[in-house]
Amino acid sequence: MSTAKCAAKFVTVLALAGVAFAAGESRKDLHFKVGKHPAISINNPYGPVVVKAGAPHEVIINAILHSDKVEIDQSQSHNRIDIISHLLQGADQYSGVVEYQVLVPADASLSIHSENGPVHAENLHGDLALEGGNGAMEVLNCGDGHVHVRTLNGPVTISNVRNGHVEVVSMSGDVSLTSVSGPYVAVNSNTGKIEYAGDFGGEGEYSFTSYAGNIEAVAPAYASIDVTARSSQGRVDSDFSLEPKHTPFYAKAGSYFSGTLGKAASSVKLMSFSGKIHLKKRQ
Amino acid sequence: MTCLEFERDLPECVEGQPSPEQQAHLNSCPTCSGLLLDLNSIASQAKMLSAAEEPSAAVWNAIEERLRSEGLIRRSEPIYLPVEAKPSFMQRWRAAWLVPVAAALAVVAVVKLYHPTRLNNDDAKQVQQPIASTAPVKNASAKRKPALSHEDQQWLSTVAARPPAQLAKFRSDLDQANAFIEDAQESLQQDPNDVYMQQMLMNAYEQKQMLYELVVDDSSH
Repeated sequence: MSTAKCAAKFVTVLALAGVAFAAGESRKDLHFKVGKHPAISINNPYGPVVVKAGAPHEVIINAILHSDKVEIDQSQSHNRIDIISHLLQGADQYSGVVEYQVLVPADASLSIHSENGPVHAENLHGDLALEGGNGAMEVLNCGDGHVHVRTLNGPVTISNVRNGHVEVVSMSGDVSLTSVSGPYVAVNSNTGKIEYAGDFGGEGEYSFTSYAGNIEAVAPAYASIDVTARSSQGRVDSDFSLEPKHTPFYAKAGSYFSGTLGKAASSVKLMSFSGKIHLKKRQ
Repeated sequence: MTCLEFERDLPECVEGQPSPEQQAHLNSCPTCSGLLLDLNSIASQAKMLSAAEEPSAAVWNAIEERLRSEGLIRRSEPIYLPVEAKPSFMQRWRAAWLVPVAAALAVVAVVKLYHPTRLNNDDAKQVQQPIASTAPVKNASAKRKPALSHEDQQWLSTVAARPPAQLAKFRSDLDQANAFIEDAQESLQQDPNDVYMQQMLMNAYEQKQMLYELVVDDSSH
């Protein structure tokens, strides 16, 4: 390697180190000992929060603070841990960013509020409450606990979630549910699309409603459902040949369908004001 | 330059001269150029607000009498001071009164002038569907600006310090929630026993409640 190339590399490394130093990025690692079913709350205005299942009785939080304009407030009271990204004077959406990587016991209950950053929760069995403004919300491989998601504009993806209540409220964020089943699954959207792909199992109650967003549900031929779909101003279609049933409302043809499939074990309601609704058969 | 970087520098651009880099971004990005155009319009309207006619002396006298009757100001103070004298409470109050009014009007102007595109391609296609005769109603609801309640105005005032683009989004979401409530209420007037529409109305209120809570939560940081 020539001397010039070596010098260039050295200068580049120095420059990068200088940039990192100037940016004031710092790392903070937190460890907490907890008992069974701990409750963990994280409030992070800017930046991602990723939570995964780790060792029992231990909560490990790795945080990267993007500047000295934000600090982490932490408190533990018995089995409850509160983490807050505390914005200091002059913090903004760039300097206020904190990136969280969190390992919690699988049976932990989580409450996460993130104004802008994405939130990801995986392999957990406690209750999850996720709130956000614009960031994506993702829940994967969770079960046996309730999942509550509230978002303004961020997309919501929930996959492989079973045996719990799943409730999503969204203004304009699209909501996608894949292999989600349980005693109660409800999505309430304004303009965001609602997509469901699963078997409507668990003898549960499924309620997907939107104001202007389209609703698309894909179910297998063996699905056992009692389904009602209605859109006041949008088109409504079904790929299934349903056993017709009585509906407790008046609706014009093409804007609703109602009927049963199989033993009608689960109740499915697909309702929109002006969005399209399509119940598709999985190929 | 990205849209995010442009938004960060937006305050410098409003009623100012964009830098060459900003101008290059404006030329290539219709969203940001539209936003800047809207904000410049708002800024010019806000100036007109400050030059608007002040209410007549009779109005101020009536307000003053009301404040006196409620014991908020004392009668010992002269009602009118010479112009060159130290401003009285009432005179200071008059000017302060215009600030929130101007802010509220500016917020209304932001929302009226800034309409981010909300309908996706699927929505556009829907107009082509066999039941297209009903589709325009949806478009109407998407564009509709239901009247703001007192609570809505109070809520907007709590987030008035947010960046203009964010504020416009909040207002847009609020309009969508209100449009949902209005449409569900109208449907229920036609058929009060429609249990599904009752559920839709509850969902609409749930959306509005969430909007209130999330935005105010975020404002508290």
